[in-house]
Amino acid sequence: MEKDFIIAGFGGQGVLLAGEVLANGFMLDNKNVTWYPSYGAEMRGGTVNCTVVAADEEVSAVQKSAADFIIVLNQASFDKFTSKVRKGGTIIVNSSLAKIQKLRNDINYVFAPITEIAQEKLGNIKMSNILALGIVSKVSKLISIQTLEKALDNVIPPNKKNLIPKNIEALKLGYEYDLLAV
Amino acid sequence: MALETITEKKVLIKGNYAIANAAVMAGCQCYFGYPITPQSEIGEFMSGKMQELGRGYVSAESELAAINMVIGACSTGVKAMTSSSSCAVALMQEGLSYACTDELPVVLISVMRGGPGLGNIYPSQGDYNQTLKGGGNGDYKMIVLAPSNVQECFDLTYKAFYLAHKYKNPTVLLADGFLGQMMEPVEMKEYPYPEIDNSAWCLTGAKGRDGRVIRSYGPLAEDRCEFLENLFGKYKQIEENEVEWEEHNTEDADILLVSFGSTSRNVRTAAKICAEKGLKVGTLRPITLFPFPNKRLAELAQKVKKIITVEVNMGQMVNDVKLAVNGKVPVELIHKGVGTPPSPEEIVSQIEELV
Repeated sequence: MEKDFIIAGFGGQGVLLAGEVLANGFMLDNKNVTWYPSYGAEMRGGTVNCTVVAADEEVSAVQKSAADFIIVLNQASFDKFTSKVRKGGTIIVNSSLAKIQKLRNDINYVFAPITEIAQEKLGNIKMSNILALGIVSKVSKLISIQTLEKALDNVIPPNKKNLIPKNIEALKLGYEYDLLAV
Repeated sequence: MALETITEKKVLIKGNYAIANAAVMAGCQCYFGYPITPQSEIGEFMSGKMQELGRGYVSAESELAAINMVIGACSTGVKAMTSSSSCAVALMQEGLSYACTDELPVVLISVMRGGPGLGNIYPSQGDYNQTLKGGGNGDYKMIVLAPSNVQECFDLTYKAFYLAHKYKNPTVLLADGFLGQMMEPVEMKEYPYPEIDNSAWCLTGAKGRDGRVIRSYGPLAEDRCEFLENLFGKYKQIEENEVEWEEHNTEDADILLVSFGSTSRNVRTAAKICAEKGLKVGTLRPITLFPFPNKRLAELAQKVKKIITVEVNMGQMVNDVKLAVNGKVPVELIHKGVGTPPSPEEIVSQIEELV
């Protein structure tokens, strides 16, 4: 088994951190895993993404041209990454910041107003990234939110441990979000 | 994430942080450096950790200063290092030539980026020649280790300190921006090598003994000949003792793929795809670039029909492979100028074109 994930959004949405949590989760599940950021001469406010590859055997390649699961947190990323979803794969779209639109019929679409849920239920849009991971857990069935909770503890530095309960809440909100609503 | 702990548990960490952690845990007493992407995390980590541990950290005014500070520190016998990248390692070449002549245990972490000139910050393997053939003057060689994943970034940093002190010779960990920036689980074990006694040569003040001099100046031609013979005798010893490589499926291979560093990962995958297509493809990855696995390549050249090297540069290691096999088999090159390694599929399709 080898599965590829891309998480994309604009700088500041916690895209790289979400990827780090996801990768840590797969590590805790004893998978081989790699995390690689979009990298180059980037601009503040520009799009950012990272690729996470999790495998039972050796990771076949760190950078992939397509992925099984792509999480896009804004319109620019939705536009850029729709074509990179592998056939039969899934794109999870933050419909708070991207239009609900299905341009392909060979992939699965999951739309959720991630930013709005984070604002309304948690009072903090900064939790959008972790909330999205809750949805990833539910949709992919490849990683549990219990594992992601442990992964959060790995990633969040000692001086910010007080933020863990709120993040766990975000994970659960994402996981429990009714995907049939759209 | 940037912690320094000895743990059986794996931690997910960037290659740069793995290198920095290993250096601290190997007992590196002094870090001197000047920041440059894609290795800046090393200096950033060291700037905090070294002070916390009461060790030396200097943010040097230039790369030239940094390498000379390392030379100074190493002459007192302590473990000392610098880290840099491509166009900035270019500025250190004079110091590296001096350090080889002074026979000092300098450790250099070289995290390659795109060149030539200022180039860009994308990964590359374009400094194979810079590191192996030297930009400094005269006859000298550095020990060069090439990791292909983040665990090896950690393990080979340990080894770099050990070999540098064992042979009193500058040793380079040749990584690239790809390895520096990616995260993988790493097991951080204790420094496994014995400590080397430097007391016979290091400069610690001449109290109670005769004074010592470490210098690269050799004014008499005859003395210099003898010195160089001895120096190259040491290199020969290194070649006999320290060659390290990894190979897979070479026993009945028709085609041998040779690659180093991060590129080797995709090459291995490409070889597996080839096997599914019925091609007999083996892989060889030098872990030490000096000493280079010349003998093994020469042996394999007797068996295989073709050797193909895969590199992210315009073709540098390919020349050393050609020297090793000495015309026994054709040696071809698959390459990409700069950037992340070619994908396994790209490599496979190019192999199919060449075969």
